[in-house]
Amino acid sequence: MFKLRPLAFNIEMSRSLALWGGLAALILGIAVWRISDSSQPTEVPFETENRPPTAAPMCPWREPERDLKLFFPEATHHKIETRILSGKRLELAERLGRPPSGDENALYVYPVYREQTQLGVVLAHRVKGEFGAIELVLAVATNQQVSGLRLQRLREPENVTAALQNPQWLGSFVGKRAESSWQPEHDISDLPPEARVSGAAVTEGVRSLLILLAMADQKEPHH
Amino acid sequence: MLSLALKNLIRRPLRNTLTAVGLAVAVAVLACLSAFDHGYRVALGSEVNRMGLQLMLVPLGCPYDAAARVLKGKELEHSLPESAVELARRDPAVAVAAPLLMVAQARPSEGRADMWVGLDESALKLKPWWQAQTGQKWFTVSNSVILGCDAAEVELRSPGDSFYSPETGERFRVEGTLVRSGTSDDSLFFVPLATAQRMFNQPERLTAVAIRLHDPALLREASQRLQNIPGAQVVTLTEMMGTFLNLVGAVRTLLLSIACVALTASVLGVFNTLLAAVVERTNELCIMRAVGASRQQIVRLITTEALLLTMAGSVAGVALALVAGQSVEHLVKQFVPFAPHQRLFSLTTVILLQSVILGMVVGVLAGAYPAWRASRLHPAEALKGE
Repeated sequence: MFKLRPLAFNIEMSRSLALWGGLAALILGIAVWRISDSSQPTEVPFETENRPPTAAPMCPWREPERDLKLFFPEATHHKIETRILSGKRLELAERLGRPPSGDENALYVYPVYREQTQLGVVLAHRVKGEFGAIELVLAVATNQQVSGLRLQRLREPENVTAALQNPQWLGSFVGKRAESSWQPEHDISDLPPEARVSGAAVTEGVRSLLILLAMADQKEPHH
Repeated sequence: MLSLALKNLIRRPLRNTLTAVGLAVAVAVLACLSAFDHGYRVALGSEVNRMGLQLMLVPLGCPYDAAARVLKGKELEHSLPESAVELARRDPAVAVAAPLLMVAQARPSEGRADMWVGLDESALKLKPWWQAQTGQKWFTVSNSVILGCDAAEVELRSPGDSFYSPETGERFRVEGTLVRSGTSDDSLFFVPLATAQRMFNQPERLTAVAIRLHDPALLREASQRLQNIPGAQVVTLTEMMGTFLNLVGAVRTLLLSIACVALTASVLGVFNTLLAAVVERTNELCIMRAVGASRQQIVRLITTEALLLTMAGSVAGVALALVAGQSVEHLVKQFVPFAPHQRLFSLTTVILLQSVILGMVVGVLAGAYPAWRASRLHPAEALKGE
């Protein structure tokens, strides 16, 4: 029989065994974790039976190339970032004048660049129009002023759609900041009566987005 | 023996790691295929059961295409006369016959379509899960709309809100939103049948009639009788499920062939690695024989090395399948016919064990020749080398 077991060999073997054992345990651990994770129900755990659809799913930015040409013609590329705002809910509530909704815990921001220079950001958001959801695309310059607004999707009646898509009305948002005044007729162009409900939703959506963006860009105070 | 085998494997870390990775990829592909196959069967069966019907009357044409379109919430090119419902209800085997009119309104800029479904109250008997999440569970006026839960979330609608169809100019009042069913119904807009017929200019026309029988055992006779309804043809859910599985089966066979090629390549890799190890260690093995190691001990040593190598590869493959499988799922769903809404990736313990064992078995088989060759070495070979 062969039994070559000098001390050094044993020590090396113990290390090898520990290494391989550890690796195997890690792989098995991952496997067990994934299996137990996949056996969980797919429903959101805190979803209640009578949850009103107040928080919308993330709004996609549907036509980035078109919007970039429109708002930032010199842009070369854009990125996507997620800014977490859940730690600023009290301040948000104060600035928004209402409790933030569930989907306002995070803000999806698309910073736009020309080579290495940031030109601004684009935000996409869904608001509750009178007859269905309205998706707006908001371009904000680096000085936090609105540089453009487009409604990328809406299902309003024709006359309401025409009023909301009117370049003059959309143009009245340009230059607005989070702290601007938002009075209809005075600060934002007036709309025909049938479009005012949806117009107010868009205005509030833009205002909220600017506040969320300002809060997201706000530096944390040092304690 | 185990320690010595481990020591030998660690002596060539790069070569052995690459061999194990090759095997891991093959095992991962096999495990993923098995998991998707199992998950698809379970999910499809569950979704079909939740529909609460055994057969459908669809317009003449390709019946599977028609039924698949209806179940997927797509518009049909042809339609049925509404009289088909009454004729179906007269059949003694039919418990429920529910008329449906489905119309898709494409929204190309959004990459989707608005799906409008007109139905009458008989549909409730086929949809036991039909429960209001908010508001009413049925229409109170002709311009009522009930939204599937996903549709309500996307459109930000709740009961009492207005809702508009830009393509037809119809205005609706949201009557209620439904609880999640896990089917394609979650993204549909439901309106009264008469409203849908008027709205889409399809008077007295239907897309399909969903039918439940008093007794599923009567399916064959009932199908034969219903086949005689003018302008209609019968598709049973069992046939449809079989067709879907056949469609998936063809793709699965192709992928399985690729997986087999990958597995064969990895087995050859194991074979090559072990054979190279035996050739490199000829002197060492001969000395072991010279100091008293039996042929069986040499075979066991090489086989243990093969087992450890393939076990590492197989376990890594299963872990890879677990990590990558669910990420691939939503990609696969886009290409699978009638992809159920439920999770398709179902890596069960049995599949997991099968994959690991398969990987190890083929590895051991690949190690058989190198082990035999090592055991045939004569102790005198060591002296020749010196």
